[in-house]
Amino acid sequence: MRAATFALVIAVLLAPNGVEPVRVVEAQQQVDARAFMKQYCVSCHTQQAKQRGTVPVALDDLDPANVSRDARTWEQVVRKMRAGVMPPSGMPRADKTTHERFLTTIEGDLDRAARVMPNPGRTEAFHRLNRKQYQNAVRDLLDLDIDVTALLPPDDSSYGFDNIAGVLKISPTLMERYLTAAQKISRTAVGLPPSSPNIDYFRVADDRAQDDRLPSQLFGTRGGASINYTFPMDAHYTIRVELSRDLNEQVPIYQEPQLLEVSIDGERLNVFTLPGVAGPPPPPPSEPVAASDVPADDPAANAQPAARGRGAGAAQRGGGTGARRGGGGGNRQGQAQRNRADRDWEIRVPVKAGPHQVQVAFVKQSSAVAETTRLPFQRPYPAGVNIAETRTGAYLRSVEIAGPFDATGPGNSPSRQRIFTCQPSPSPTTATATTPAPRNRNADVCARTILTTLARRAYRRPVAAADIEPLMAFYRAGLAGGSVDEGIDQALQRLLISPEFLLRVAADPAGVPANTPYRISDVELASRLSFFLWSSIPDEELLRLAEQRQLRNPAVLEKQVRRMIADDRFGSFVEQFAGQWLFLRNLAASVPVQQNFPDFDDTLRESFRIETQMFVDSVIREDRSALDLLRADYTFLNERLARHYGIPNVKGNRFRRVVLPPDSHRGGLLGQGSILTVTSYPDRTSPVVRGKWILENLLGTPPPPPIPGVPPLKPPSFAGKVLTMRERISAHRNSPVCASCHSMMDPLGLALEHFDGVGKWRALDESGAPIDASGALPDGRKFDGADGLRTALLTSDRFITTLSEKMLTYALGRGVEYYDMPAVRTIVRNAGRDDYRFTSLIRAIVESAPFQMRRSHS
Amino acid sequence: MIITRKALPRRTFVRGLGIALGLPMLDAMVPAMSTLAQTPASGTRRLGFVYMPNGVAKNSSIDYWTPSNEGKNFGMSQILAPLEPFRDRMLVISGLDQNQAEAGDDGASGDHTRGTSSWLTGVYPKRTEGADVRNGISADQIAASVLGRDTALPSLELGIDLNFLAGQCENSYSCAYLNTLAWTSPTTPLPTENNPRIVFERLFGDGGSPEAQAERARKKRSLLDSVLEDLNRLQRRVGPGDRVVVTDYVDAVREVERRIAKAETQTDSDLALLDRPKGIPERFDEHVKLMYELQWLAFRADLTRVVTFMLGRELNFRTYPEVGVTEGHHGLSHHQDRPEQIAKYAKVGVYQAELFRGFLEKLQSTPDGDGTMLDHTLLLYGAGLSNPNTHAHTDLPLLVVGGRDSRIEGNRHVVFRGQVPMTNLLLTLLDKVGVRTDTLGDSNGRIPVDTLPDV
Repeated sequence: MRAATFALVIAVLLAPNGVEPVRVVEAQQQVDARAFMKQYCVSCHTQQAKQRGTVPVALDDLDPANVSRDARTWEQVVRKMRAGVMPPSGMPRADKTTHERFLTTIEGDLDRAARVMPNPGRTEAFHRLNRKQYQNAVRDLLDLDIDVTALLPPDDSSYGFDNIAGVLKISPTLMERYLTAAQKISRTAVGLPPSSPNIDYFRVADDRAQDDRLPSQLFGTRGGASINYTFPMDAHYTIRVELSRDLNEQVPIYQEPQLLEVSIDGERLNVFTLPGVAGPPPPPPSEPVAASDVPADDPAANAQPAARGRGAGAAQRGGGTGARRGGGGGNRQGQAQRNRADRDWEIRVPVKAGPHQVQVAFVKQSSAVAETTRLPFQRPYPAGVNIAETRTGAYLRSVEIAGPFDATGPGNSPSRQRIFTCQPSPSPTTATATTPAPRNRNADVCARTILTTLARRAYRRPVAAADIEPLMAFYRAGLAGGSVDEGIDQALQRLLISPEFLLRVAADPAGVPANTPYRISDVELASRLSFFLWSSIPDEELLRLAEQRQLRNPAVLEKQVRRMIADDRFGSFVEQFAGQWLFLRNLAASVPVQQNFPDFDDTLRESFRIETQMFVDSVIREDRSALDLLRADYTFLNERLARHYGIPNVKGNRFRRVVLPPDSHRGGLLGQGSILTVTSYPDRTSPVVRGKWILENLLGTPPPPPIPGVPPLKPPSFAGKVLTMRERISAHRNSPVCASCHSMMDPLGLALEHFDGVGKWRALDESGAPIDASGALPDGRKFDGADGLRTALLTSDRFITTLSEKMLTYALGRGVEYYDMPAVRTIVRNAGRDDYRFTSLIRAIVESAPFQMRRSHS
Repeated sequence: MIITRKALPRRTFVRGLGIALGLPMLDAMVPAMSTLAQTPASGTRRLGFVYMPNGVAKNSSIDYWTPSNEGKNFGMSQILAPLEPFRDRMLVISGLDQNQAEAGDDGASGDHTRGTSSWLTGVYPKRTEGADVRNGISADQIAASVLGRDTALPSLELGIDLNFLAGQCENSYSCAYLNTLAWTSPTTPLPTENNPRIVFERLFGDGGSPEAQAERARKKRSLLDSVLEDLNRLQRRVGPGDRVVVTDYVDAVREVERRIAKAETQTDSDLALLDRPKGIPERFDEHVKLMYELQWLAFRADLTRVVTFMLGRELNFRTYPEVGVTEGHHGLSHHQDRPEQIAKYAKVGVYQAELFRGFLEKLQSTPDGDGTMLDHTLLLYGAGLSNPNTHAHTDLPLLVVGGRDSRIEGNRHVVFRGQVPMTNLLLTLLDKVGVRTDTLGDSNGRIPVDTLPDV
């Protein structure tokens, strides 16, 4: 009985945290659940039928008076009925009121039972950081941006997310990579030379348009690439640029000379020129200047950035000759020369340690404006198939940054400022730093301070001497072998491969009996919050509150959640959660085929991504109702995307909020190119894929997998006639075994048929027939087209419930089980009081029992 | 082929990195075949597996994979035709099944998932997305546990597709089952890598002088030693049920220590000077060629002797416009028995085979000990589905390319009748590389000796 008492105490404790007080109203409206079951369920769902395999579950021995006994099955019943999937269409259904009362009764009983004996579930004891979390943790710990995809392998997903503890395993391959990553990260952060110069290569997608100024580029430029790059030391670096080629790997001929400028932090370093056919190039608009971040008193500043070989100066001087020689354009020698034009387009410049923006872009020439805008097709470069070159000016293919060479010291990068909270001793490498050295202290004491500060953040908890000693041992070894910096580097490497950093550990507190819910510690709660909302480690404020045991105070917790949502780091939630929930992540790999979608290119793909990212972000940060995800009357567009959607008066590359015209059909996620593209095949739409996506991700009722051994359909044949999509998949519904699921999926997908495989609106389909987009939800409600579907989806709480389940899965890093459903219903109810505002939804998740508690080992 | 051992000047190294990575570049930059030259080899000592996703172009009446007749001098099928130059080394095997990929008692669809996960294990994977993910040890890993003892990497797991996509895995099976062929234990899948640059760095480190590399290795070892102490403490903090994870961690640390120690004895500064790949090529064929190139390099430097390579992930939607295939791979594989669709799908198979031929040519043209590299290599090329339209796991498309030393009589098409599990073939292949094991998954014997003389 001790366990039960304990559980009860917990339940009471939780009540002020937002757990719904017991509702009594429903008792008056109880239906005779047993009779209901008898009438609508058990005529099919019998033991015999289950044994025969005609139904997956038997319901005839369920006791509605004691739902907790079969909670798992009851939750299944509730889910199927809430989704309108059961009773199946064609079978008798209760009237709406009775149906609803039955469900309310069962849910009420399940929820009451859960309040008496809460089951918060048991998250895994070890939860490895996935690679996004690792990247963010390094950013927040060391003020260092890393490209984690170049360091760690991708993580396996389960339940639709890649942060599921159970499948984030440790393998030798991974361990090996952690070791290498720690070495690279630590040396960059501390400012020590890498084992060999880094060479980083940035490839611009071939089908990314470069005719206009790109975001984050300088005015007066077009195309190119802008790279946020962390330079590891004060040193020289080479920047190498390469022009795009045509399909035959030739540099095309352009009327005008093409001027490519390379800048760092907005300061031009050099201009390279590809001669045109028309004549000698104009002089560049202004003289190259040195990077502004090189201080005047630094000797390096006196060294003008030198272009090597036939770099800038040579290319400019030789321009006229090249143009004359290549003038005819047809001569082979001229072509060969043009192909070599960028062979030595490389500069070597001194750069201060730390992040800088490297910009490479073409100078936009006045006459280029006069060129006709390419219409109707935007794709600048044919991918894989041989259609004519459409570019009117040169494009950038790649940028390569290499270094450090001739390093002068570690510099004063943000990472060093973060790490060196005190100065262990005047180390030879920092003696020349321009900033005054912090007060000298006993080196060991200082190193200990540095490492204690880092370890507390990295391990996300108060640290003890036993945590610091191993780090100090490496510090001393490094110190003995070289310098203080070497010492800190060694210790930091050690920290970065510690299981205390790489794993979140959940251990049952001492004295908790087996199989008993307990409240997780404040420190663990802080990590749950930060990994949920930031995909990263807690910051100082959160960690401090946790250490002071303030986090369990509901007012403090609420304030923290609001603060965290307002923080920049919350961007990871949108990217990671929405990116996986909505499959946006798959956009990167979507390659609609050119024959069918000639104007799809990387620019459009990127626009799709930005639109949905900004849209979801706005719904959350403006604290709108989560329902706005489906029904909002606005979105974010730039000219390219607006043209794709047929929305007038949006000019330029900048994304801005646009209120959608009522007849645009675009409101909400279902009208966005991103989602319409990732749910299509490369060559056409797929109503089945779209329907399945809606069932899984918006309605939370994934269709059962196709039954094994079903013979493939004979496609309907209408000799000589091109079939409409509806006709093509009609066979699904004519075969009883297929129809049971496809009658749910197909109509949902067909409702979106007005949007083609890349989300463009159309009135006629490929066969030239007008599109029939009418359909019905699983529960029988009819609708027409995307607008009708949207309205139909909004009339049930399935969408909010599904979103809550997905979010809870993501927040916990485990699958949502039947015993979580009372918590899910509480989340939905609590958020519902506030019109499902997104912050209410997030707060309800944070306040839920599964998030705040854990069950001890069984 | 004349090989002179010479190191490239440092400037060439840095400069070379600036040049677009042409594929021949890797080859041309190999300064000398030092490692192999120093260790003359004989016997078959390498085992490779190449996996085609989504089956091959065939149905019950049309078949672009299977040779037209049985036995010696078989008639090349359209898909296998590009491999004609290697006919003498080819043993095409028909009629083997992977029964564990069929839907089991849990009635679950998931044929693509099981096609991948059981291909080298012969085990029916547990249908779960939780911590109880369970398959079997894969044949490549059994081989690696023996052949890999003497190499810096026991095995390499390579792929082409991105595997961080959302929503692409089959109902209630963790994506772990779909992402790799290699399972080092029933609960530990090994991640595949598709970025050539990362593979290269794993093989050859990230540069520096031999002294600096040795120093780094020493530091790594001492870091790992120290981590074991953390793990000991952690072990005491958690309950008995959770300790298995810590044990896995400890094993991983120990294995990496072993690899580092091994790598030190294999340090080859010349190879470290090779031109590093820059990243993932945009074109499929360039990507595949580069991944084959890296396998060849790994073999050549004897850094590993076991490789699995997935030419794509099941259910992928890649298009191949360069060979006229503009429908997504998986979608097209459901050819609905339409002859023109099957014919189109065959183009993918031909394309894959042409790329495979490039790899074989490379192995063939590389001297290795007493022969060529191909002489000492055994490869299995195939798929986990045969007719993809029905998700058939019977009569799988399987091709063994045997080196001279594996004493597999080539130029033959062998057809098995009755239910013979594919794992019997895997056992036989393991025998051929000297790794004796009694059973593998659902194996019930070996491929009859008389079909493979001299086993």
